[in-house]
Amino acid sequence: MTDLPASRLNRRQVAQLLGAGGASLALGLPEHVMAQAKKSTLVIGIDISDTITLDPARLAQYTSPMTVSAAYDSLVTMKPGQYINVAPSLATKWARTPDGKGWRFTLREGVKFSTGNAMTAEDVKWSFDRVINLGDQPSQYIAHVEKVEIVDAATVDIIMSKPAEPLLSIIAAPEFVVMERKVAEAQGASAAKDSKTADKATTWLNSNSCGTGAYRIAAWERNQQIQLVRNEHYWGGKPPFERIVIRHISDGAAQMLAIKRGDIDAAFNLIPEQLASLKSEASVRLAPLSSLDFVYMALTQEPEFNKALAIKEARQAIGYAIDYDGIKNSMLGGAAMRPAHFLPIGVSGSTQEIAATIGFKQDLAKSKELLAKAGLPNGFEFEIIYGAAAVQGVTYQDLALKIQSDLGRVGIKANLRPLDQVNLRTEFTTGKAKGGVLTFWNPPAVENQLWAAAVVQRVAKRVHWNPPEAVVNLVSQAATEVDQAKQAALWVEWQKQVVDAAHHFILFQPVYQIAVRNTVKDFPLTAAGWMLDLHGVTPS
Amino acid sequence: MARYILSRLALAAVMALLSTLVIFLIANTVPGDPVLSQLGDLAASNKEFVAEWRAKWGLDRPLWERYAVFLRRLIFDGDLGLSIASQRPVLRDIADFAPATIELASIAFLLSLAVGIPLGVMAAIRRDSWIDHLARAVSLVGVSAPTFWLAFIMLAVFYGGLQIAPGPGRIDMIALPPKAVTGLFLIDTLIAGDWAAFRDALAHLVLPSIVLAAATIGLITRTTRASMLESLSQDFVRVAHAKGLKEGRIIIGHVLPNALIPVVTLGGLAYANLLTGAVMTETIFSWPGLGRYTFRSAVALDFPAIMGITLVVAVTYLIINLLVDISYALLDPRVLR
Repeated sequence: MTDLPASRLNRRQVAQLLGAGGASLALGLPEHVMAQAKKSTLVIGIDISDTITLDPARLAQYTSPMTVSAAYDSLVTMKPGQYINVAPSLATKWARTPDGKGWRFTLREGVKFSTGNAMTAEDVKWSFDRVINLGDQPSQYIAHVEKVEIVDAATVDIIMSKPAEPLLSIIAAPEFVVMERKVAEAQGASAAKDSKTADKATTWLNSNSCGTGAYRIAAWERNQQIQLVRNEHYWGGKPPFERIVIRHISDGAAQMLAIKRGDIDAAFNLIPEQLASLKSEASVRLAPLSSLDFVYMALTQEPEFNKALAIKEARQAIGYAIDYDGIKNSMLGGAAMRPAHFLPIGVSGSTQEIAATIGFKQDLAKSKELLAKAGLPNGFEFEIIYGAAAVQGVTYQDLALKIQSDLGRVGIKANLRPLDQVNLRTEFTTGKAKGGVLTFWNPPAVENQLWAAAVVQRVAKRVHWNPPEAVVNLVSQAATEVDQAKQAALWVEWQKQVVDAAHHFILFQPVYQIAVRNTVKDFPLTAAGWMLDLHGVTPS
Repeated sequence: MARYILSRLALAAVMALLSTLVIFLIANTVPGDPVLSQLGDLAASNKEFVAEWRAKWGLDRPLWERYAVFLRRLIFDGDLGLSIASQRPVLRDIADFAPATIELASIAFLLSLAVGIPLGVMAAIRRDSWIDHLARAVSLVGVSAPTFWLAFIMLAVFYGGLQIAPGPGRIDMIALPPKAVTGLFLIDTLIAGDWAAFRDALAHLVLPSIVLAAATIGLITRTTRASMLESLSQDFVRVAHAKGLKEGRIIIGHVLPNALIPVVTLGGLAYANLLTGAVMTETIFSWPGLGRYTFRSAVALDFPAIMGITLVVAVTYLIINLLVDISYALLDPRVLR
C-alpha cells in the first residue's frame, strides 16, 4: 500500500511548478531603460508611514516636512548648521515695522510659482491667513500673529499681538510657506474666517503642490512613495534632478540592501549594526544628520507618588548616577550629543562646552553624598516607564536597563514598566506617571522659547513642579532679548536653574547617520526640522 | 440549497455586526487617549484645541452613542466614517490598501495549493521515501521559521546577494503604479497593456508570496498527506484495486476527492488568514497592504479604522467559511442529504 508508483501527471506538475517559480525570479525591467531613468532621478529610501498630509497648513508629522520644503518656500529659512539666525528665502530683507508691532518683509523679485505665474504680496498674505484661519496644529505656533498686511506689491507686514515674542525662526518652518492663491482656491482652498469648514483643498494638496519650491509634488501613493518633479520656473536656478522619488521602505535591513545595490541613493532609517556593515562599501558614505531631537527622562516630584522623589537632592542623586558617556559611546557608537537641558546643542545658549560645564555628569561619590543629604543614605525605590519604541536603533528598553544598572551602583532601585507609546503619553501628559518617564522631544520649529516655555509650563505640570517665578520670567526675558550675546547668557542662566531643579535628565541628542551613495554629491542635511534641503541635493 | 445559503448569509451579517461591538468595547477599555497619538505636544496641551478635536471626531460623546452612530452610518449610508489617523474615509483607506493584500495573499495561496497538495499526495503514496522526508522537512521549516527571519533571509539572498529578485515594494523603485482600475497590479498592468510593468509587478510578488506561503504550504502538505493516508486505507480503494483499475486512476479519481475535504476546510481558513495576517511580511517588503494599516490603526487607537478593519476581517472569514461549507456540498453529496 505504501509504495505505489506516483502518477506521471503529478511528477510533471511538480516539475512545471518548480520551473515556473525559478523563471519568474529573473524578470524585471530591461537594464538600459532603468539606467537612463536613474541618472536624472534621485531616489530616497525612508519610512514615510507617518505621512498624513502634505498640506503645509496642516503639517504635524516627522517626515512630511522634507517633501513640503522641497515644493514650497518660506519667507525666511535656516541654512544647515546655522540654527540661530535665519537666512533670506522668498524675502530678501526684513526689519521691525516702524511702529515696532511686527516685522516688515521685502519680497524677492522675479519669483514664480511652478505654474509660471509671478508670486505676489497677495499670495503671501493669503497663505498666512489660511494657516491662521484653518486653525490646525501649525496655527498654534503663530498664535501671537495678529494679522498680515500688504504694504505695497513687494512689501508685507506681519503684525503681532505680542510684538516682543520671537517670529522669524518659527516662520522658517515649512508650515508657513507661500502658496499660489489662484491655484489653491481653484482646488477649494479658503483663507477666510470660516476656512475651518470651508476649505476643501487638503485632498488636492496631498498629491499636488502650488508653491515656488525647486520641485513640484506630482504624486503621493500612501505607504508607497512620493514623487516630485522639477519646477522649471524655480527662482534659484534649474534644479538638477528631473524627478525625486521618496520611496517608502519601512524596514532598515531592506533599505540597507537597496542602497548597497544602488536602487536608492540615500537610506534614512539604518540602525548602528546596519551602518557598520556599510563601512566596507566604497560606493556608499555616511553623512551625519544632526537633529534638535533629544531623549530624556522626566521625574515627578509628587510626594503622594514617591516620597523620596519629592526631595530635590534625591532627584539630583539620580542625575549624578547616570552614565551618560556610556549611553553615548557604547549604545550609540558615539553618534550623539548631549545638551544640559531642553535647549538642544546648536541653538542660542547651548553648545557642547556649555553643556559639559553646567549639565549633569556621572559622579557616584557626589550622588551618594546627595543621597545622604536627602536623608536616604541607603537609596530608595522608584518606577521608570517607557514605550515600545527605539530611537536611532536604541530601544527605550535597553536605555531603561542601562539606567537601572547605573542607579543600582548608588543603591537606588529602579523598577521598570514598559508601556505602549499612546498609553505612556497618556500617563505622562496627564501627570499620572509615578516616577520616571523615558521619552522623546522633537521640536516643530527652531525656537528656544517654544521649548523653554514648555519646560516651565506644561512639562512642569506633568512632573508636579511649580517653577519659581524667577525661572518662568527668565524664559520671556531671554526670548525677547535683542542682543544675541546677552540672550545666549540668559539662556545659559535659565538652563543652570532648571538643571538644578532636577526634573529632566537629557540622555542624548541623536546625530542620525544617513547612508548616501556616491552618485550624489551635495546632500545638505539639516537639523532645522525638514531633515534635508532637497533643493540643494546635486548629482556627482 | 438557496435557502441554506440565504440563512447562512443572514447569520453572517449578524455575526459581523456582533464582532464590531466586541472590538468596539475592547478598544475602548484601553486607557490610552487617541488625542495623544495624533496631536503634537503643544496642541495636545491646549484644552480648547483638544475639546474641538474630540468633538470633531465624536470622541466627546458617550460610548453607546458612538456605537449607535457607527451602526447607523454603516447600515443606512454604507459608510465607515473617517479614520482619525489618516483623516480620510476608512472605506477609501481600505479600498486603497486591500488590493495589495488581496493580490499578495491570493498568489501566496495559489502557491501553497500548487506546492502543498502535490507534495502531500506524493508523500502519502510514497510513504517514508525521500519525497516524504522532503515534504516533512518543507512543512517543518515552513511552519516553524519566523516570518521576519525568513523574509529578511529571502531578501538578503535573492535581492542583495544573488541579485536576481527585485527589492521591496510592489513595483520598481522609480516607477509609478499603473492606472488604478482594480488596484491589483497584475490586472491593471494588463489592462494598460504594459508588459514590462506586468513583469515588474509579477517579479515583485515572488519573494513576499513565497515567504507568506511558507507556513501555509507546511500546513497543507501535512493535512493532505494525513488525509490521503487515511483514504488510501479505505475499503473502496481495495475494491478499486480488485477491479483492476490503474494506480493513477485510483489516486486521482477515488482517493484524492475523498482526501481533499479536510484540505478544503483548512485551505479556506488559511486563505482568510493570509488575507488578514500579513503584518510582518508587509513590513519587511514595504508592501502597502491592510496588515500595516491594521497594525497602525490599533497602535494609534484609531477607532473608526479599527472598526472598519474588524468588519472586513469578520466578513472575510464568514464568506470564506460559507464558501467552504458550500464546497463541501459539492465535494461530498452526503452533506446535503
